[in-house]
Amino acid sequence: MNDTCTIFVVDDDAAVLKSMGRILRAANVEARTFQSPVDFLANHDPDIPGCVLLDVAMPALDGLQLQNELSEHGIDRPIIFITGQGDIPTSVRAMKAGAVDFLTKPVKAEHLLNAITRALERDAQIRHEREVRGSIEARLKHLTPREREVLSHVIAGRLNKQIAGDLGTVEKTIKVHRGRMMSKMGVRTVADLVRIAAQAGIGPTL
Amino acid sequence: MSTSAALAPERWRLSHLAVDVRLFFFVAVAYYIGAEIAFLVGTLSDRIFAPFWPPNVVLFCALLVADRRQWWLCILAALPAHVLAELRVGMGALQIIVAFITNCAVAIANAYLIVKYLREPPWFSTLTKASLYVLITGLIVPSVCAFGGAFVQVAGGGSMGHYLLYWTQWYASNAIGTLTLGSVALLWLQERRLGPPVWRDAEAIFMALSLVAVCAVAFELSTTRIAGVFVPTLLYLPLPLILWSAVRRGVRGACEAVLIVTLVLVWRSLNGPGLFATQDAETNVFALQLFLLSLSAPMLLLGAAIDETHQTARAARDSEARMSFAAASANVGLWEYYPASARFWATDHCRALFGLLPDAILTRDALLQAVLPEDRRAAADAIRTAAHPHGATEHEFRVGAADGSVRWIHAHGHVQQDANDVSMRISGVFTDVTARKASEAEAELQRTELAHLTRVSVMGELSGALAHELNQPLTAILLNAQAARLMLQQADPCMDEIRQAIDDIVEEDTRAGEVISRLRRLLTKGPPKTEALDLNDVVRSALRLLRRELINRRVRLDLRLTDDTPMIHGDSVQLQQVFLNLMMNAIEAMTASAGAERTIIVATQVADGGIVKLSVADRGHGIAPEHQSVVLQPFFSTKPLGLGLGLSICSTIIRSHLGELVITNNADIGATATVTLPLQQATRGMSQ
Repeated sequence: MNDTCTIFVVDDDAAVLKSMGRILRAANVEARTFQSPVDFLANHDPDIPGCVLLDVAMPALDGLQLQNELSEHGIDRPIIFITGQGDIPTSVRAMKAGAVDFLTKPVKAEHLLNAITRALERDAQIRHEREVRGSIEARLKHLTPREREVLSHVIAGRLNKQIAGDLGTVEKTIKVHRGRMMSKMGVRTVADLVRIAAQAGIGPTL
Repeated sequence: MSTSAALAPERWRLSHLAVDVRLFFFVAVAYYIGAEIAFLVGTLSDRIFAPFWPPNVVLFCALLVADRRQWWLCILAALPAHVLAELRVGMGALQIIVAFITNCAVAIANAYLIVKYLREPPWFSTLTKASLYVLITGLIVPSVCAFGGAFVQVAGGGSMGHYLLYWTQWYASNAIGTLTLGSVALLWLQERRLGPPVWRDAEAIFMALSLVAVCAVAFELSTTRIAGVFVPTLLYLPLPLILWSAVRRGVRGACEAVLIVTLVLVWRSLNGPGLFATQDAETNVFALQLFLLSLSAPMLLLGAAIDETHQTARAARDSEARMSFAAASANVGLWEYYPASARFWATDHCRALFGLLPDAILTRDALLQAVLPEDRRAAADAIRTAAHPHGATEHEFRVGAADGSVRWIHAHGHVQQDANDVSMRISGVFTDVTARKASEAEAELQRTELAHLTRVSVMGELSGALAHELNQPLTAILLNAQAARLMLQQADPCMDEIRQAIDDIVEEDTRAGEVISRLRRLLTKGPPKTEALDLNDVVRSALRLLRRELINRRVRLDLRLTDDTPMIHGDSVQLQQVFLNLMMNAIEAMTASAGAERTIIVATQVADGGIVKLSVADRGHGIAPEHQSVVLQPFFSTKPLGLGLGLSICSTIIRSHLGELVITNNADIGATATVTLPLQQATRGMSQ
């Protein structure tokens, strides 16, 4: 498993918590255990890659509430729920809120580790996407307002002549803006530009 | 309707007239016949004075039988009969009038006083009544009236110098008449017999004939030369027969026998030589009269006394029979025990109660032998009760019947002591209480069943939480075991870590086992046990089962257990059941409460007065005012599917622990259930 990842285990039952920590360590996964959800929230570092292994029924703050709490703070760390009583409404709510898996106690190590693998993959993917979006956004910041306007026209598939007409300038000027913009964004083709613009959530100007 | 109403008084008057006419003729005829009998039996030489004079008795009896307002009729009827009879013997007019007046006087006085003091027949039922009869008719009335009666002889030409003799003759004649013939006549008149036993009549006739024979023999012998010194013996000859008659037939037998002796004696004495024939006629008759008076009065009293004894005995027998019948009907046996003489008495029904054979002899030991050995002491105590001289005792014991069935007998005894402490007796009743015992046992069984049932139902409500309670250790065990296996597969396994995992497995297995055994204890159906318990332990043990339920229902628990040791006496399972029930109700009451409100405060407390308190306070909807009084009643429930037995069973359980369960609304919100139990005495010192 990924050595750099950490599994955050939250369960109010000390014995269960301890056994989970033990199986994860035996599987060579870094695990941090929290007996109370409040404790977890206070000590949670969203930058550490990994996932949460969360008991549903806990005093004070239950698993679903903790899930809400995390998403309200903009933390989209993958969550695997573990419950003693796997009732359908709770599991549906958990999955809709973005849970990776919903496991029922007593859980077998294979199932647990499989779920963790999936969750870590999801986490890696999320982190990768966030990274990509971050670099695109950083490049976008270097564009001048005019270049930005040109970009939105380009990804809409318009020709330089049309863009010049829309912006009230000559085709030559647009060509210069377009060349600078393409180089700042680090792309060669319009297709690449359309792809990263989509990743950054920028739509075409029609 | 109107015709018959108009006719009715007419008819009534006619029928009354008929009765009056009948009475008139009856008295007249009887009076006349009585006089004739007197003459037949015998008179003195002057043919006027009869030592035995029935007409006065006839009039006296007629007055007693007749209504008070018919008395004049009786007297009127006697007049012609009297005149006719006396004229036949040649009596003078003045004599007839004097005789009639004195005869009427004695009869009226007798009848008046008898009605006044004896009131109504039977006239000789008690010794008191018989004594009064003898006193009035045998002494007072004739002796007083004799002062007038003596003038009959004087009016007939007798010398005033013989006044005293005439007085005695008149007195004795009337006294003998009422004591012998009068008593018999009254007994016959009052008697209403239905189907008489023939042998008794036969015995009476035989006795009468024997008496006549004996009297006749005695008189025959007395006329012979050998009489002389044997006269007293001859006089006593009839006595055994009279006594026999009195003993066998009471006052009637005595009076009839005396009448026979009287008639025979008077007749024989006046019609020839006899026992009383040694002097002149007057003296002879006087001696005879004295003899008859001294014989008839005691015999009359003896007969009355015998009758009264018989009657008392019969009344006692009837009373006992009634009592025994009533007792047997009520399935109750009566008994008495005299400790001084060790005498024991019991009604026949006791045999049935104690399963003895119908012919078994009822003794104290026989009854005790029927009692089961382990209960024999209680039974003996019930009969003895020596420790409490004036007390009453209640004991219950079992009796084993021959067929192997067992019956419960309740013995109630109380000591009855006479003033002279000697004749102390213990009396009481045995009651068959098997049915009551059976229903008590049945009720106890049902209570246990019901308690178990409600316990199971609480467990059912908790099943999800309890499954979770088992799931936790199972989860830990599974993961620990798999972790250990994983670690063993590694190149350089850390043995310490593996050992720890295995230790945890053992620990978690123990934990699961505890959950199961706790559950099993609560689900087991068994009779309640009583042991010393720490109420805090009871609460903590039950809370282990509730922990998950509280989490699932998002209820916060505020536990305020006392630092003292609230020791109590009771059944752990039942008390846990009560606590679980109160907790479940509290949780249920807060279903609709806001999250922050969902708190249950559980507190234990050692209070003053040797009391331990356990309270469960919720912040739910509380009890509606109209439900306040019925909340502990069976079958009351506010839950749609509730049986309404939970709190009722809790209340029963707490009461059987000599405690109290009270549920009240809190001042602000929610309700508090408070269980009060007595603090176990021995451990009170342990607190603080």
